[in-house]
Amino acid sequence: MAAATTPEDLAHLMARVAAGERAALRQLYDATCAKLFGVCLRILSDREESEDVLQEVYVTIWRRADRFDVSRASVMTWISTIARNRAIDRLRARGPLAYADQVEDLEIPDGSVSAEALLVTAGEVGRLHDCLGALDDRTQTAIRTAFFDGVTYEALGHRMGVPLGTVKSWVRRGLAKLKGCLSQ
Amino acid sequence: MSERPELSEAEAFAAEHALGLLTSAERRQAETRMARDAVFAGLVEAWRNRLDSLIDAIMPITPSHGVWAGIEQTLPVNDNAADSRGLRFWRAATVGSLTLAAASLTAAVFLANQPPVIIHPVPVGQLLNASLISPSGAPVPLFVAAYDPVRKALIVTSLVQPGKDPAHVHELWVIPADGKPRPLGFIEPGKTKTMPMPEALRNSLALGSAIAVTVEPPGGSPKIDAPSGPVAAVGKLVKI
Repeated sequence: MAAATTPEDLAHLMARVAAGERAALRQLYDATCAKLFGVCLRILSDREESEDVLQEVYVTIWRRADRFDVSRASVMTWISTIARNRAIDRLRARGPLAYADQVEDLEIPDGSVSAEALLVTAGEVGRLHDCLGALDDRTQTAIRTAFFDGVTYEALGHRMGVPLGTVKSWVRRGLAKLKGCLSQ
Repeated sequence: MSERPELSEAEAFAAEHALGLLTSAERRQAETRMARDAVFAGLVEAWRNRLDSLIDAIMPITPSHGVWAGIEQTLPVNDNAADSRGLRFWRAATVGSLTLAAASLTAAVFLANQPPVIIHPVPVGQLLNASLISPSGAPVPLFVAAYDPVRKALIVTSLVQPGKDPAHVHELWVIPADGKPRPLGFIEPGKTKTMPMPEALRNSLALGSAIAVTVEPPGGSPKIDAPSGPVAAVGKLVKI
């Protein structure tokens, strides 16, 4: 496991990646690959496919590094957005209703904590967690599932046993409340 | 209890894209709209930043060792160099020399089966790099510059946090062997910029020349061809 890397370290690495330095990409990979692999695996629930996507993700980071703008997003946000987008594209290729088995069914090393438990304990999640927590249970579940599993409204409706329109209105109302709560 | 107003249709769509709820067709639509409509792109980015900390809840899982090897074998040169075949050939061979050098796609396939080697093609130029650090402060780069003699451009990245000093600008200079500074242009805090270099400046951007950034009033140094403000950072051009 790579030593702790600060956001500044990552920003500096990105600048070197943008200048075309492969050794910097390797360092960025070492510092972030486990997190991004976790992101892909959560969405795809398939190790081989997730590793394939992970490979595409770093090639994309390499190709687009010069478009990274430190004033608009952190490196971690930027690269995890690429990872989520690639994984979601791959999931969509399975069909509009596709969703992976829930991550609980995956083989995860012993002693590890579930994502939800981590969400509760991680201090840095703080504000967003508080604001999500203020929503009713089904809205919370819908928003979290959408984010973590990258599923469509249709798949979400299937999973929750409600029509697409219903889940859509829960999510949209929930997002409006979330925005209000976060801006306070 | 006051109910929060609904999100506008555009913002709801932006948030749904950030959340990952859209179908393939809608995702393409959202991406196209982001490319054309800066306001919409800003909404998506704002939602990504809002939801960002959810990522903290995702457990890191180490991928297999083979993944990096796969990445390395397929690495193209950066997009910003894709327009120059000469550069593609040359830069891949020099920039990549720390690991696997790939002079072309064909060579990459061939080299993939070879032990790591460094190719020395007939040099058509040499990418020069400079890490600019504060002359008085901590030895942490504040700017990174690379001069690409094939593209005849200087690629500069500012690692300075934006918004700290809006009353001033950062002006770039090259100081070649004769010790006379030549202005190169401006770099905004936190940005990366590719600056085409006019012919008159190209010879100055040589091995050992210093690149410096000074803090100047808006519009740049009022002096002719000399900085007026303090030096924020300086570094020498070296071969990577």
